[in-house]
Amino acid sequence: MYIHNDIDDDIKFLAKSEIRLKILNELYKKPNDVRGLVKQTDITYSSVSSNVIKLEKNNHIKKIKNNYYVNPMTEVYLKTLMDFKNSVQMVNDYESFWDKHDLNQLSINSIRRITDLKDSELIETTPIDIYKTHNTIKNQISVSNCVKGVFPYLHPDYPGLIEEVLQNEGSVELIVSKSIFKELMLRINDNIRKNAIKEQKLKVYRFKKDLNLYLTICDESMSLGLFKTDGSFDQNRILISDNPKSYSWAEDLFEYVKNEVRA
Amino acid sequence: MTSIEIKQGLTEEFSGIKYILTSGMRSRLLLAIYESPKNLEELRTELKKPSATILHGLKELENINLVRKVQKSYELTSNGFLLTVNMVKLIDNWYSLSKSKIFWNNHDLSGIPDELLKDIYLLKDAEYIHSTTSDLSNAFNTYINLLSTSEELRIIMPIYSENHLKHLIKLLNRKRLVKLELLVSEEIYDSIKENDLFNKKILQNKKVQIKCVKEELKIFLTYCKEFVSLSLFFNDGHYDDSQILIAKDENALKWALNIDRIYKEKEENYVKLQTGSSNFNEHLEH
Repeated sequence: MYIHNDIDDDIKFLAKSEIRLKILNELYKKPNDVRGLVKQTDITYSSVSSNVIKLEKNNHIKKIKNNYYVNPMTEVYLKTLMDFKNSVQMVNDYESFWDKHDLNQLSINSIRRITDLKDSELIETTPIDIYKTHNTIKNQISVSNCVKGVFPYLHPDYPGLIEEVLQNEGSVELIVSKSIFKELMLRINDNIRKNAIKEQKLKVYRFKKDLNLYLTICDESMSLGLFKTDGSFDQNRILISDNPKSYSWAEDLFEYVKNEVRA
Repeated sequence: MTSIEIKQGLTEEFSGIKYILTSGMRSRLLLAIYESPKNLEELRTELKKPSATILHGLKELENINLVRKVQKSYELTSNGFLLTVNMVKLIDNWYSLSKSKIFWNNHDLSGIPDELLKDIYLLKDAEYIHSTTSDLSNAFNTYINLLSTSEELRIIMPIYSENHLKHLIKLLNRKRLVKLELLVSEEIYDSIKENDLFNKKILQNKKVQIKCVKEELKIFLTYCKEFVSLSLFFNDGHYDDSQILIAKDENALKWALNIDRIYKEKEENYVKLQTGSSNFNEHLEH
């Protein structure tokens, strides 16, 4: 891939100086003059004024009367740059969750929108609580009315949890790997299962290829688990969130995997 | 705070972006390996740089766990992959903007929700059309011609323009257009309603669904299977009918459809109308 020179220069010019980024961020919040910027940022007067001149020269800000304003396009530059910064932070903050894990089952779009997971909580098992991840998911499911899930493996608790949701008039939609499909269906109580399927309260899709992703979407929360690059599921870490953005991120990913089933 | 402390604070605030984005070598290496894993020889040919420079860059990327060497080939780690996908998005975002610099720099962008501004890369194949002194209505005419190609139209209309509305009536009279969904502000809705012709031919038309929001709209967006068009207001508050962005690809439609998602989230903003308008439905998505 080739980066156009102009863009390259623009990106470098803004990304190179934290002072310029800071000034732009401040001016974006509130148009100001040099003196006001000095007050707000604690950066020295000479540094602020020289960078303001550079920013103006490069057509990123404009002086109207006494105050500097960020140009509309630069505002968008800044937003996308901050979005990129947040994605870097997302990678760093949950380093142990991503590192050496298989991301192939995520859609490219879900990776582009990784910052939607920003306020997630990383749940990790500890030596004194080795079932922490599983219990977290179990608690989420058992209080939910509507459950969607991508299950690459079968935990002995799942059939019971599914029955519980269905008996409470809830609905369950699952994508499971081929290898566990039959077993899972057999373990759910016959009557409950048949009724639920008839009433369209239970939908289970069989995923033909290997499923390298774990995802649950409950009433107001989501949880995500990954496989390690060696092919084993990482039972020790999940990312959970009840933030609406993470929730819709998870729903999009679920739809994406569902489309893969049909493909 | 001492100036050193302030600097450290700033470095922390903007951590990560500087290291990746300001080194041409590091970012180019990431992009090259993102396409496919490559060995040193291949990287040297692609980047036209001596081995020493490339190896130095690779070492730096290995040190921060973005790249790893498997046998003789360099590939992205999971972290490297996450980061590079987002770097490509950033570059495409900036490309998309700089391609139509005049358009983006001269208009009030406050009507475009942040979520969509961050995804402006989806408009990277959009074409910028503007009127010239020899053809004052080039933008408008191009738009009107496009309208006649579509069967189902959705328009976010921030202005009351008799010109536009008359054209819509013409289209509604034809068979081709089967559905028109309009989103307008309360003020524009009232103006349309006050005009007998528009009230009868548009508001009372069975093909038309109209939704109305309390807030003032600052974006003129038209979308259908065939095309997406966008025009905006000047910073001084005047609508600009001389410049328009037009795109005909799927990405642009995806971008436009995201508007729906955003408006749906603030359903309470809708004003209840007596004409019994129904949902802004999801036909186009499937």
